[in-house]
Amino acid sequence: MSTWMRWHGTILILLLLGTGALSLHVGLRLYSPCEVWAALSAPSYSPDDHIIRGLRVPRTAAALVVGAALGVSGLLMQAVLRNPLAEPGLLGVNAGASFAVVFALSVLGVTALPVLSVFALLGAAGAMAGLTVLVVLARGTLTPVSLLLAGVTIAALLNSLTQLLVVTDEGTMEAMLFWLAGGFADRDGLLLWTLSPALLLCIAFTYLSAPALNAMATGDATAHSLGVDTMRLRFIVLGLATFLAALSVLIAGPVGFVGLVAPHVARLMAGIHHGLLLWRTALIGASLACLADVAARRVVVPQEAPVTATLALVGAPVLVSLVRNRQLRAAA
Amino acid sequence: MTVALRFGPPAMLAALTLLATGIGSSWIGPERIVSALAGHGSDTDRIIIWTLRLPRVALAILAGASLALAGLLLQRVVRNSIASPSVLGIVDGAAVGVVVFFWFWSNEANALTVSIHWQPLAATLGAAAFALCVALLARGDIAQPVRLILYGIAMAALAKALVTVFMILGPVYRASQALIWLAGSVHAAHWNDSAMLAGILAVALGILVAAKATVGQMVLDQTTATATGLPRVGTPVCMLALSVVLTAAAVSFAGGIAFVGLIAPNIARALVGLDPLRLICVTPLIGSSLVLAADIAARVIAYPLEVPTGAITALVGAPYFLFLLMRQASHG
Repeated sequence: MSTWMRWHGTILILLLLGTGALSLHVGLRLYSPCEVWAALSAPSYSPDDHIIRGLRVPRTAAALVVGAALGVSGLLMQAVLRNPLAEPGLLGVNAGASFAVVFALSVLGVTALPVLSVFALLGAAGAMAGLTVLVVLARGTLTPVSLLLAGVTIAALLNSLTQLLVVTDEGTMEAMLFWLAGGFADRDGLLLWTLSPALLLCIAFTYLSAPALNAMATGDATAHSLGVDTMRLRFIVLGLATFLAALSVLIAGPVGFVGLVAPHVARLMAGIHHGLLLWRTALIGASLACLADVAARRVVVPQEAPVTATLALVGAPVLVSLVRNRQLRAAA
Repeated sequence: MTVALRFGPPAMLAALTLLATGIGSSWIGPERIVSALAGHGSDTDRIIIWTLRLPRVALAILAGASLALAGLLLQRVVRNSIASPSVLGIVDGAAVGVVVFFWFWSNEANALTVSIHWQPLAATLGAAAFALCVALLARGDIAQPVRLILYGIAMAALAKALVTVFMILGPVYRASQALIWLAGSVHAAHWNDSAMLAGILAVALGILVAAKATVGQMVLDQTTATATGLPRVGTPVCMLALSVVLTAAAVSFAGGIAFVGLIAPNIARALVGLDPLRLICVTPLIGSSLVLAADIAARVIAYPLEVPTGAITALVGAPYFLFLLMRQASHG
């Protein structure tokens, strides 16, 4: 590792801390560092205290954790599908989890957190399985771009099913629409604090797969000769990616483009070594989600824009430039 | 052409029209519809049919026909049956045009400072701007429709983000109107809308019938088409422009009804083959039937609630798109 690359790591950690701190200070009301520190260190029951401890802290935590999880999820999908465009949002995994959760809430009337988590996982896994079936049916003839189109179409299908469920259930419609819009503000605190450790553990766990992912990046044949069972690796890694995406959706609703942008920014810095890529992607994803959330609070003051919109404003141009990329062009 | 093919599509459209006019909070039988249309029958029937049911039916028919024709043209320009206006960012571009229009031309009291009748023009300009962007991005990839569609998806994501931002910036009550309209529905139909759309559709149909030889030539591959005297750039650009105008007109009155422009031309081609004049006549009929059928389903599925028409067409269109994608992938 060169000195320059070690600096990258330091810069990323500073960036993460900076955006996290910024997110506590910036909003409709701007607070000085002293005020924030006072609220955090010596809790009183003033309105400012409530805003910082009750609203900004959970919101920042949600953005950081979900951003990291979605970034890593995107990186894992890109690695095992050998598709630089893969991402939980574009591949329909988020849409699958959303549909399953809406189905559980509005049709089955389930509200218990463990059951909802199971449904989110099942929905995400279902979408992933559907996509896998398509890949198998096409017998390897799907280009990265075609696979992405298939994912987007599956997402469109699942979204219209979700829409049908939401529109026909007037009782829960408003809460559903809010959750489905995606974002980090005013999310369920219980969900956030119980699921975050699971997500962070899962991210740490993915680190174990880094050597195998490195081997796989050299091609299936080489990976085999290095002793990597590629089928098993694909299964496990896609499972981890789906788990990360599903729980993120449960916390923050479907949030797109973090999983696409974060791994590519990390690649610009860390090259192709997955050990470095994984934790840098996590840091970048967290900072990106948090920055987008801060931007969303300030672009249309005194209103607030949805964070999904600010992320799309960044993510869509990245998607275009990736599709125009020469290497991908050659692969297609 | 056999008798069944000659009379099938018009007969189906007529039957669906009767059904769509009859269904509602009170069922009106075909014989009462005919007598009310002829000026007889009870006053109640006449009022229900002329002011409530028929405007909606007319708008569904016209929007379906416009979208289907736009799809036919686009598939000719791209020389691939997988293209359609809804995946090229045109629909969301039109939405951007409308929300920018609401945002820019409303005063402090949230009233529009210009006539609402300019809205279709704003939609067309927005659609044209986004279509132009997609076309420019894809100008080297015109032979690879899958990439073209992906650019469309990226631009559509960008457009959706802009729509939410401008909706928040604009007057609040307009935002709720825009939301209803974006979901794709014909329920708020008015005779004036239908008249304008009918005018645009009539002009487009006239142009196409007059230029049917050109539409026929576009079936040929690029080299052969050029050899038969077809301008290399001019004709596709004109057809693309016509397609954008038709889509924008349909979208500005009926919202984003997805996938009609994809399915209708394919069904029409399966029915009547490649003869340009027959295609120009049959495709709109199929498109109208599709939207009418979807609208009937949207009203019946969750009676007494209504679901968005666009969600119904997506349920049919998305699997069909996947089928086309897989077939093209396996044929190389």
